[in-house]
Amino acid sequence: MKRTIAYLSLLFILGVLLYIANPNYGLVFGPGGKEWLTLRYTDNYYIQHGVQEVGGMNIVTDIVFDYRGYDTIGEATVLFTAIAGAIALLRPWRRDEK
Amino acid sequence: MNGEAILPYLIIIPLFGAFSMPIVNLLGRKAREAWAVIITGATLAVGSALFYSVWENKSIIVYTLGAKSPLGQGVNFPIRIVWEVDLFGAIMVLMVTLVGFLAVVYSIGYMKHDTGLDKYYTLIIILELGMLGIAITGDLFNFYVFLEIMSIASYALVAFRNDTWEGIEAGIKYMFVGSIASSLILLGIALLYGQYGTLTMSYLAVKLAQNPTVTAKVALALFIAGLLFKSGASPVHMWLADAHPAAPSSISAMLSGLVIKVGGIYALTRILFSIYGHSVSMKTVGWVIIIFACITLIVGNAMAVVQNDMKRLLAYSSVGQIGYILLGLGIGLAAYGSQTGEIAMAGAIYHTFNHALMKALLFLIAGVVIHQLGTRDLNELSGLAKTMPKTTFAFLIGAAAIIGMPPLNGFASKWLIYESSAIFNPILGAIAIIGTAFCTAAYVKVLYTFFGRPNERVMKARDPEGSMLWPIIILAVAIVVMGLFPWQISDKVMIPAVKSLENQLAYISAVLGGA
Repeated sequence: MKRTIAYLSLLFILGVLLYIANPNYGLVFGPGGKEWLTLRYTDNYYIQHGVQEVGGMNIVTDIVFDYRGYDTIGEATVLFTAIAGAIALLRPWRRDEK
Repeated sequence: MNGEAILPYLIIIPLFGAFSMPIVNLLGRKAREAWAVIITGATLAVGSALFYSVWENKSIIVYTLGAKSPLGQGVNFPIRIVWEVDLFGAIMVLMVTLVGFLAVVYSIGYMKHDTGLDKYYTLIIILELGMLGIAITGDLFNFYVFLEIMSIASYALVAFRNDTWEGIEAGIKYMFVGSIASSLILLGIALLYGQYGTLTMSYLAVKLAQNPTVTAKVALALFIAGLLFKSGASPVHMWLADAHPAAPSSISAMLSGLVIKVGGIYALTRILFSIYGHSVSMKTVGWVIIIFACITLIVGNAMAVVQNDMKRLLAYSSVGQIGYILLGLGIGLAAYGSQTGEIAMAGAIYHTFNHALMKALLFLIAGVVIHQLGTRDLNELSGLAKTMPKTTFAFLIGAAAIIGMPPLNGFASKWLIYESSAIFNPILGAIAIIGTAFCTAAYVKVLYTFFGRPNERVMKARDPEGSMLWPIIILAVAIVVMGLFPWQISDKVMIPAVKSLENQLAYISAVLGGA
């Protein structure tokens, strides 16, 4: 019973996501021309001003290390946490050490 | 005081503390403990100063990372990550730093028989860092990054005692549920970015108001679903009831007091009020939240009554109290702009803060009991009042506060929620009262055991050492003192917090500079 409801709701969510993946109602794929400027204006800004403001030739690293460098610190912290968590959980058991 | 100047230290200090912990650990056990206390203590100082600054100036602090202004050259949209702290965020910062500091101090005594403590202190500081990052951020993707930091640290900490079966089981359960919830939130953020092309919360709010689309509604549904998971609302509370009992008690205090509120309630409130503000029907969203709140209230409190395990009882009681907070939030949305809604929302924020103190206190006491007696079974704990009088007295205060007895802080916050729900819809008021009846039954049951005839196991128990006792005393005193000035706190802090939360325009123009 529970399982049936779960699959039905998954089906519903899939349907909704397919609906908004349709360019006529929702997301536009591969916007170009005028749509590029209305939907991807921040990207356009980074491409136009990145070299002059940051100084790197690679737009992606410009964004990841300058414009959004704080997110990168966050991602580094996520990795650090994951490593700390993994070695914390894989340490020997208390009674084994004695 | 200049809030903008001290805001970065809220992230810098715990980040530095966490990353330097493996090196400090080389100096030995004392150095590691002292370092953890210093770092969280300094964070508490910064957090209180920030709260005071925001409260005194009644302004929203905006801080751009990497530039003077969040806006790009010659354009009117933000291109950098911003921090945006209004009074609600500042209350969360104060709550996180306070309980985090007390939990670390408590850990010195509580965790001394465990191994791997350098990892433990690293993770607990990172957990605090993640919550602070969520509370101050004004950027949607950045919110997700810090949500992940917080979640991953808490998965590891729940399963920290890897030699207990329940720790590992709860950790796995929490991790699977939590990762699915996180991915729902990430999917929502991706949809919003694809549709509107910005990640800054305030600019997104502008874009949403100009062009509300179906995509935005789907994203909102994904956010609500994911964040209800994170806040432990019923019917998706089952991970919480396993995770909180299995974690070390200092961690349960942080999970129950902070994680479910900052990662769940705060984020939900921020997204609903500050991003979606007027672009969706607040009434509909409010009623959706109210329905979940009512289920949560009844299920959480009723399940608390039948528990025999002390920490499990407290965990279910946390679910029940989340129900009250969600009820306040839901009414705050459904009656948006009216005085009822304002009072309900003030009650929800107030209860968030109060419950953090009370539940941290109760979980720390549960930890003391487990530490002294080695059991969590309520049937074996009768007569604890004889041998552990200070602890039992503190538990009495915590239990009375969570039920909502008048001289303590829980009374005012619950009263605001009762009052507004009764005005809004009497049925909701009745449900809230039924929830409290169950909650009272659960805590009376525990107290009845504590004051019963001492059994032999209890006879050799003692009150704990200073490092475990002082955090409990501080929390109990805070509860009593806050209980003495309930309406002053409500009028001076909580109502202004709601007003600034409802003033979406101010939130937006703080970043966009009135543009």
